[in-house]
Amino acid sequence: MGYRTLAATLSGVAVFTLSVSAAYVIWSKGGNGSGLYSRHWSPDSVQGYWDPDNFYQPSKSVEGVFEATLCIQCHEGITPGIVNDWRASRHARIDEPVYCNDCHGSNHQQLHLPTPVVCGNCHEKQHGEFRDEARYGFPSHVLAMERAVDAPHFADKPKAEVQSCVQCHSVATKCDSCHTRHRFSAAEARHPEACITCHSGPPHPDDESYFASAHGKIYRAEGKDWDWSKKLVKGNYKAPTCAYCHMDEGRHQVAHKSLWKFGLREVNPHTSKNQLLREQWIELCSDCHEAKKAAQWLSELDRERKSAWAKLYRAEDVLKNLRSNDLLRPAADERPDYPMGSFWRMERIGFFEGQASAFYNVSALERDYFEMWYFDNLGAYKSAAHGNPQGVDEGHRRMAATLERIETKAQILRHRSETEQSVIANPAVTDLWMKGKYTDFNRTHN
Amino acid sequence: MQSIETMRAKVGMCIMFMLTLWLTPLLSETQVDNGPFIDSECIACHTERNPKLIEQWHSGRHAITHDVGCISCHGDQHDDSNIKARSDHTCKGCHEGAVSHSYTTSKHGVINHLEETEHGWRQPLQRGNYRSPGCSYCHFHDASHQDTMAQERGPEMRQWICSGCHSPRYVREQLANGERQLEIADLKVSEGERLVTTAAEDQSNTQRALRQNLIRHRKNVLYGVGHQSPDYQWWHGQPALDGDLIRIRDSLLQTYQQQLLSNSSKE
Repeated sequence: MGYRTLAATLSGVAVFTLSVSAAYVIWSKGGNGSGLYSRHWSPDSVQGYWDPDNFYQPSKSVEGVFEATLCIQCHEGITPGIVNDWRASRHARIDEPVYCNDCHGSNHQQLHLPTPVVCGNCHEKQHGEFRDEARYGFPSHVLAMERAVDAPHFADKPKAEVQSCVQCHSVATKCDSCHTRHRFSAAEARHPEACITCHSGPPHPDDESYFASAHGKIYRAEGKDWDWSKKLVKGNYKAPTCAYCHMDEGRHQVAHKSLWKFGLREVNPHTSKNQLLREQWIELCSDCHEAKKAAQWLSELDRERKSAWAKLYRAEDVLKNLRSNDLLRPAADERPDYPMGSFWRMERIGFFEGQASAFYNVSALERDYFEMWYFDNLGAYKSAAHGNPQGVDEGHRRMAATLERIETKAQILRHRSETEQSVIANPAVTDLWMKGKYTDFNRTHN
Repeated sequence: MQSIETMRAKVGMCIMFMLTLWLTPLLSETQVDNGPFIDSECIACHTERNPKLIEQWHSGRHAITHDVGCISCHGDQHDDSNIKARSDHTCKGCHEGAVSHSYTTSKHGVINHLEETEHGWRQPLQRGNYRSPGCSYCHFHDASHQDTMAQERGPEMRQWICSGCHSPRYVREQLANGERQLEIADLKVSEGERLVTTAAEDQSNTQRALRQNLIRHRKNVLYGVGHQSPDYQWWHGQPALDGDLIRIRDSLLQTYQQQLLSNSSKE
């Protein structure tokens, strides 16, 4: 058999495998839900409002075709709030106003909720920049909905419960997350508060860390007097806001200089590509600060990240060791399976490999690690990046405490396994994780 | 000499002027002495003027459980006392922590924070008057002095208030989803409670604390749903409840392990 035959066979196999994989991905996206696990779930009825393109069904309550002032005449009485809001918007005040039907359609039986594509019909530049974010990968605004629905826990949990997720992740599917309807104000979106409905809480305390920083304090004290109609460029704002740094010059994407990313995986900040990104950050900080000083702050962030990952890796090692010795309870077969678990055995649900789904259906030690990784680590990171030293200390103190707890517990588990009877013989323990009102409900509701 | 007509006109104007002077305090609140007042004085006067309002306040939790009277929210000065009571800052003076933070970080809370200088809380709490609802817009809608979001006021009230801005179907769907989220949180709470109560007769402090966490995190889901805060529905709510269940189970596992050990050592 010649070299040619071998090459032909190999390429044949490769083409076949690729086509089968592509066909599988297309097939898997064809279910009632959306995304990779779409065949494993059906949407909650409210999901159409968060992901209109995939799930919104127009209301059939009113018949007729309406345009411009006709819509307003009726809605002034029905929903006066939004009519007033629109009247105060730029849409209403320009020479050729943008009326309800321009975004929602005019046939009342076939109304739609405006998606970014609809807004992009006029706001082409902004929409283009927003879409462009996709090429930088995760984390990303434009890919946020995919990220949500492709998480194993989204497919697994009752759909009413995970509607909380898509409220924020709908930043990919609607523009009003930042420019709230029906005023759609650019000035509003420039304020840091425009971001905090999603960027707050344990995994991304961007609000806390920013407001505690010197930048945030200046904003809090003086921001009310600033002219928010001004563009996000050098000299216009005394202190930077979220948008000033992450969407500089009003660019509608936050990923182009994303260097340290979400903080869930370790990033090598010294690759040549990341060196270029670092220079962009330094240039931005130089709008107000000395470049040398900015470089120094960024190096401090590098050191903080390194120290966080040193702790996280130690904890991971301990847990991997426990798992390989079958000392973690519940083990994979002692807990309820994900709906798609029969195909992908969810060994990896636990602590490592970047699984955001590891907050439930795991052992207490893994949950401890999850909180260390997802809450304390990210809290420290955001504090370091936004200039809140107390937050850095707090995050590292908590990580160190959890690491110590994990190590102590691991020692006890190892000691017991060497010297004592295994607890798993007890039948009360074997199905401890398998039953319960919520656990049962969860297994039947996807 | 003045003509009879001029005299009549002058007398008429005088009478009108006197009448206006006399009626003004009755017609307009601004002419009331500015105070300071104490609760009993407010109540004495307003029982005559707005008996329904006083009755609502009397039957509500502010009056019954917390001894919160008029001046706690309206201040002791009569001028602008409604503006003061409508402001989010007034409510946040007492309602701190999760309940307030869930609202502050919600879109409604954010918009009010950014625009309160513009609207100044000057309008009555009625449909169409505010771009975004403040605490008082939903909870004391149309000047009701009994919480208009309370369970006993029924879903129709919530439906009416929210649909001043949102489409009726949107409101229905959101409220129904909120109910479903709470039902799920309740399932988690009863799963946890059952685990704790069935397994250990003498509950350790750890288990008591874990039980408290269940209650707290369930409340976060309620605040998250009520105030439309994704973060309270989610990270402070559902996954926190999941964590509680994991830790309750783990503490049971430890108890079993202890029992097993002490049994085997007896043998």
